[in-house]
Amino acid sequence: MRFPTRVSAALVATLSLLAAEARAQNSASITATANVLTPLTVVGAQNLSFGNVFPGLNKTVAVTDAGAGRFDVAGQANANVSLSFVLPSNLSDGSGNLLPIGSWTGEHNTTGTATGANFTPSAGATNTTLSGTGNLYVFIGGQVTPAVNQPAGLYSGSVQMTVVYF
Amino acid sequence: MRTALLVFVGLALVAAPLSGQGRPLQVRGVRSLSFGLLLPGIPTSTARTDPALSGELEIRGERNLEVVVTFGLPSAMTGPGGAVLPLAFAANDAGYSGQQSIGSQTAFDPRLPFRAVLSRNGRGSIYLGGTALPGNGQRAGTYTAQITLTVAYTSP
Repeated sequence: MRFPTRVSAALVATLSLLAAEARAQNSASITATANVLTPLTVVGAQNLSFGNVFPGLNKTVAVTDAGAGRFDVAGQANANVSLSFVLPSNLSDGSGNLLPIGSWTGEHNTTGTATGANFTPSAGATNTTLSGTGNLYVFIGGQVTPAVNQPAGLYSGSVQMTVVYF
Repeated sequence: MRTALLVFVGLALVAAPLSGQGRPLQVRGVRSLSFGLLLPGIPTSTARTDPALSGELEIRGERNLEVVVTFGLPSAMTGPGGAVLPLAFAANDAGYSGQQSIGSQTAFDPRLPFRAVLSRNGRGSIYLGGTALPGNGQRAGTYTAQITLTVAYTSP
C-alpha cells in the first residue's frame, strides 16, 4: 500500500513540474500581409483635334465627338484611381502666336465607348475605379476661341493626365 | 495515506516556487501586420504606432513579472506562384506597452530578445512594424508570411 502511494505522489509532483514548465512559456503568431498592385500605365491613345478652325469662330469638340482626345489606363483590377490634369490655356503655332483653349470637358468609362461619367478635367483629383480587367478610358473635349485676326497655321499644345492609385 | 498526503503537499510546495507564477503565460495575436497596397519597386513601411496596420499581440500572465519576448521574423512574404516579397525589420520596429496603449510604447529591436514587465493586471501588448521591399518586377497579388512571438518568464 505504501509503494503505490509514493508512486502516485511522485507522479503528481512530476505533473506539477510539467504544468509549471508548460505555462512558463507560450507563443502565438500573426500574419504579415501585403497586396502588390499591377503598375499603372497611361497611354495617350488619341489626340484632341479641332480640325480646321476659322478666325473669330469658336469651335468645340465634345467628348463624344470623333475628335475627342482619349487616354487609355491599365492597372489593378477594380482599383480606385484619381485623375488629374495639366491643361494648356493656349495652343501655340511655334512662332509666338497663341490660340486660346478652354471649357474643358471629360468623360471616363471602362468600356471604351463614348458613354460614361462626365467630369471637368482640372488639376484637382477626379476619382474613379478601374474595371474588373483593370481598364479605364478617359475622353477629353474642349473649345478653342480664335481671334478674328488669328494668324493661320498649325497650333498645338500638350494635355497631360496623371493617374494614381488611392 | 497521511504520508502520501504529506508527500504530495511537500512536493506541491516545491513545485510552486519553481513555476514562480500563479497565472499561465498566454500570448495571442490581435492584429496582423499589414503593408496595404504596394507598387512594384516602391518600399513601403508600416509604423509600429499605426493603429490599423501595425501588428499586435497580447500577453497575459502574472502581474508585475518580467518576461522575455522573442520574435520569429520572416525574411520575406510569399505570394502568387511562390513569388517572394522581401521584408525588413529595423531596430525601432517593435514596441511594448504594459498599459496596452499603442500611443505609449517602449521601442525595441524585434530582431533581438526583449525583456518586459507585465502590468499590474498581468497584461502587456507588443506592437510591430516593418518594411516591405517589392522589386521592380514584383508580381501583382496578395503576399503573406507568419510572424511568431514567443514569451517566457525570465525567472523559473
